[in-house]
Amino acid sequence: MSDTFASDSAESLGILETLVRPAVSRAGEREAESTSAPMVTVNGLGVAYGSKTALEGVSMLIPERRITAFIGPSGCGKSTALRCFNRMNDGISGFRISGGTVLLDGQDVYARGVNVTALRRAVGMVFQQPNPFPMSIYDNIALAVREHERGISRSTLDGIVEQALRQANLWDEVRDCLTQSALSLSGGQQQRLCIARALAVRPTVLMLDEPCASLDPISTGRIEELLLELSADYTIVIVTHNLAQAQRISDKVGFFLMGRLVEFGDALQVFEASARPETAEYVRGAFG
Amino acid sequence: MSVQEKLRSKPQWGSGFGQFACWVAAAVVSAVCLSIIGYLVFQGWHSLSWKFFTTDPSESMREGAGGGVRVPIVGTALLIVLAVLVMFPIAVGAATYLSEYMDESSWFTRVVRTGLEVLASVPSVVFGMFGLALFSMPIFTFLSSSGAEGASQAFGRSFLVAAIVMGVHVLPFVIKVSEESIRAVPVSYRRGAHALGITKWRSIRKVVLPAAAPGIVTAVILGMGLIAGDTAIVWLLLGGTTTMGASNWWAPSQFLQVLRGTGATLTTYIFFNSPAGDGNSPQLAYAAALVLVVLVLALNVIASIVGRRRKRQGS
Amino acid sequence: MPLLLASAAIFSGLVVTLVVFFVAYNAVPTFRAEGLSFITRGGWDTQINNAFTPSKTVFFGAEPLLIGTLLSTVGAVLVSLVLGTGCAIFLSELAPAAIRRPFESLVQLLAGIPSVVFGLVGLSIVVPFIQNYVVPANAANVVPEIPIEGASLLAAITVLSFMILPFFVTVAVDSLRAIPRSYVDGGLALGMTKWRTITRIQVPAAAPGLVAGLVLAAARATGEAIAVSMVAGAIAFSPNLNHGPLYMLLMPIRTIASSIVETGGDAMSIPSIASALFALATLLLLFSLILSLGARWAFAWFNKRMGVRQAGGVQT
Ligand SMILES: Nc1ncnc2c1ncn2[C@@H]1O[C@H](COP(=O)(O)OP(=O)(O)OP(=O)(O)O)[C@@H](O)[C@H]1O
Ligand SMILES: [Mg+2]
Repeated sequence: MSDTFASDSAESLGILETLVRPAVSRAGEREAESTSAPMVTVNGLGVAYGSKTALEGVSMLIPERRITAFIGPSGCGKSTALRCFNRMNDGISGFRISGGTVLLDGQDVYARGVNVTALRRAVGMVFQQPNPFPMSIYDNIALAVREHERGISRSTLDGIVEQALRQANLWDEVRDCLTQSALSLSGGQQQRLCIARALAVRPTVLMLDEPCASLDPISTGRIEELLLELSADYTIVIVTHNLAQAQRISDKVGFFLMGRLVEFGDALQVFEASARPETAEYVRGAFG
Repeated sequence: MSVQEKLRSKPQWGSGFGQFACWVAAAVVSAVCLSIIGYLVFQGWHSLSWKFFTTDPSESMREGAGGGVRVPIVGTALLIVLAVLVMFPIAVGAATYLSEYMDESSWFTRVVRTGLEVLASVPSVVFGMFGLALFSMPIFTFLSSSGAEGASQAFGRSFLVAAIVMGVHVLPFVIKVSEESIRAVPVSYRRGAHALGITKWRSIRKVVLPAAAPGIVTAVILGMGLIAGDTAIVWLLLGGTTTMGASNWWAPSQFLQVLRGTGATLTTYIFFNSPAGDGNSPQLAYAAALVLVVLVLALNVIASIVGRRRKRQGS
Repeated sequence: MPLLLASAAIFSGLVVTLVVFFVAYNAVPTFRAEGLSFITRGGWDTQINNAFTPSKTVFFGAEPLLIGTLLSTVGAVLVSLVLGTGCAIFLSELAPAAIRRPFESLVQLLAGIPSVVFGLVGLSIVVPFIQNYVVPANAANVVPEIPIEGASLLAAITVLSFMILPFFVTVAVDSLRAIPRSYVDGGLALGMTKWRTITRIQVPAAAPGLVAGLVLAAARATGEAIAVSMVAGAIAFSPNLNHGPLYMLLMPIRTIASSIVETGGDAMSIPSIASALFALATLLLLFSLILSLGARWAFAWFNKRMGVRQAGGVQT
């Protein structure tokens, strides 16, 4: 399986058409299934950094236990939208919500009194650059678990660490070197460790901001495979510049352009029968 | 627990205390710093007068001897100038060589760097003892005087001796800051010179060093602050006195005698007049301490202004 | 010309061996006559007095000086570790921009205050304060063997702490600021609070830098002569726990470095005293050697353990 992905993950947008393969396309597989309940509901969301508008009037329903991909040219606001879901923008000076709401399972995340740390536990996040902490592989995963469950027993913790590593398909590679520094892992392993770390605190939603941008095709393939498996249990939102990747793994696709959500819909429809000329142009590789 | 319930749960608390403790630590340190300065101003202000700056400390070493700070200020200035003269060429030379010529991985580089690292951690009293040991050797009589009559040793205490040792003392610091500013000169400068077919040394002299000059000057000025504030080297190597060893020290003909003679600086004056010293005139010590702190502060401000200009040029 | 530059570099790198040689060479008579008992025997003050009588042969015992140095250094390092880490976290993570700059200047100001001024202020404020408010009224009865008068180990620790604090804070702030932003984001994204991210991720990641800064600070405390000499009581006494921890802190001390400035004037003309002082200076050299090389080693070890493959020494 991973070999197929490896050979497929050519980065250039121009050769996208050649990569549309029903065998690996999620869109085809799941088309017939009934749409599941929305996990994240975005309603007319607007965001500004200082006087600069980054998002305007964004609305979408992100379904539960599906993979949703955000695509669009650089600087169009994909990361900004993602970071609104777990309020990672809060620390940025000048950041402000200029309108609209983000509901997680019906609860407004920007409402007063929301427990932000609990929100971030419910909405895990993986970044573009793998960012394991400078400590052992074990501690990378155990750190946040210990934070949230004070006084947890060693054996329980061991179990959680193992489960998270298994879920991230990393267990077999690192089971013998859990005490080794996480920084000694390869880039792809580090990124899977970051996914494991996020899974260990049992999130409901898993967000990944260009998780494969710094990885080679083989590592990329393994992560795509992993995400497909995880989508049985988690709501996944992924930002990607790799249209082939979006097509391979996503159920829903949102296309952003200059701070607006131009189109949001089923992957197959967005890629093959787009309602909007901008989208059609972008997925054809005409601009980006 | 549903997601909704999780989000509405009470945030875990207890982290407020740690942050509060950090604020308290910062407040304590600020308060201490401000009260030291405030205390010196409050206590020393009255004693600052024209007379204070223009009279010399009393010749006698008795308690309450009194007197002003003219000779100590001259001594501090003289020591700074001499020590910079000693240290500057060596520091710039070493910094240039370290940053431009040396291969970072060679054992030789490692030896030199380790040597500098250890040198930087040697306390100033030890430098004082080193100076006494080295410059008491008879061949160094020309730097001080021949000491007591009939002695087989040199006296080993003079402005020249103190300045040489002080120069070595601040050397690692000045080298480090200078080297940083030489390394900060963009590679494109060097490449430009290289493209013109200029020799490496010429490009260093004409391009790199001028570009790094503000940083080197900053390093030297900060080094001057260190020299002005040091007491142990001065106490051991300048004679532990509050007066000039040479008589008529202001006369140009006496210049060599002054350099080879003992003397005082602001720091020895403060020590001597503090309740712990023989003079025990705290009011004078506070006033002199105020003068010294203002001097060091002024040097630091000048250094940061020069340093800022470097940054602006750099960008 | 490069040859001249090279000799400047060689000189700067090797001058420390000259320092070691001259100081150690002059200490030879003392170490040859006394060996290790120089640091295991007490009685320094009387021995110095006796040495002024030329006819006597005097053996010196610097044990109390060693203990005074160790206690005051360890105390000051602990205090500035606690206060300084707080300040460093404040500066690099917590302070609002409007407060950060002024506070940074204050720390730099503290670093610029000469040691004799610290001694003067310590003697005028700290010592009387301890005498009036900390020393119990019946101290003379409880501890008859030594004067308990304010000038003490506690005063030395107080003054040294604030002297070395800025050096620790500067290094600590630099290493905290060098921690990649991505570690912080990683912690926050896992639902850790800002404070826990600081203490669990940023501070441990910056630990080699903190250790290096602490060692640098310890080296300063060990070698500080004038300020300690002014506030510590200048009695070669080894503080002990016979009367409890408070009285231990209130006992006077004399450190290695301060004995050198206190005795090292005209007394240097007496060969036995001169040699004993050189022996003290040799001890100080040994300390600074151990501290600077130890910090370097700890740094390398930590980086290796963390899998960071990079050359780098302790920045002093
Ligand atoms: N911290 C910030 N401060 C100010 N402006 C910001 C900040 N972060 C993002 N922006 C602005 O918001 C807009 C959207 O940025 P965002 O990072 O969301 O884009 P993106 O779609 O993720 O781009 P990329 O594909 O390059 O990651 C950009 O115009 C950017 O300049
Ligand atoms: Mg982005």
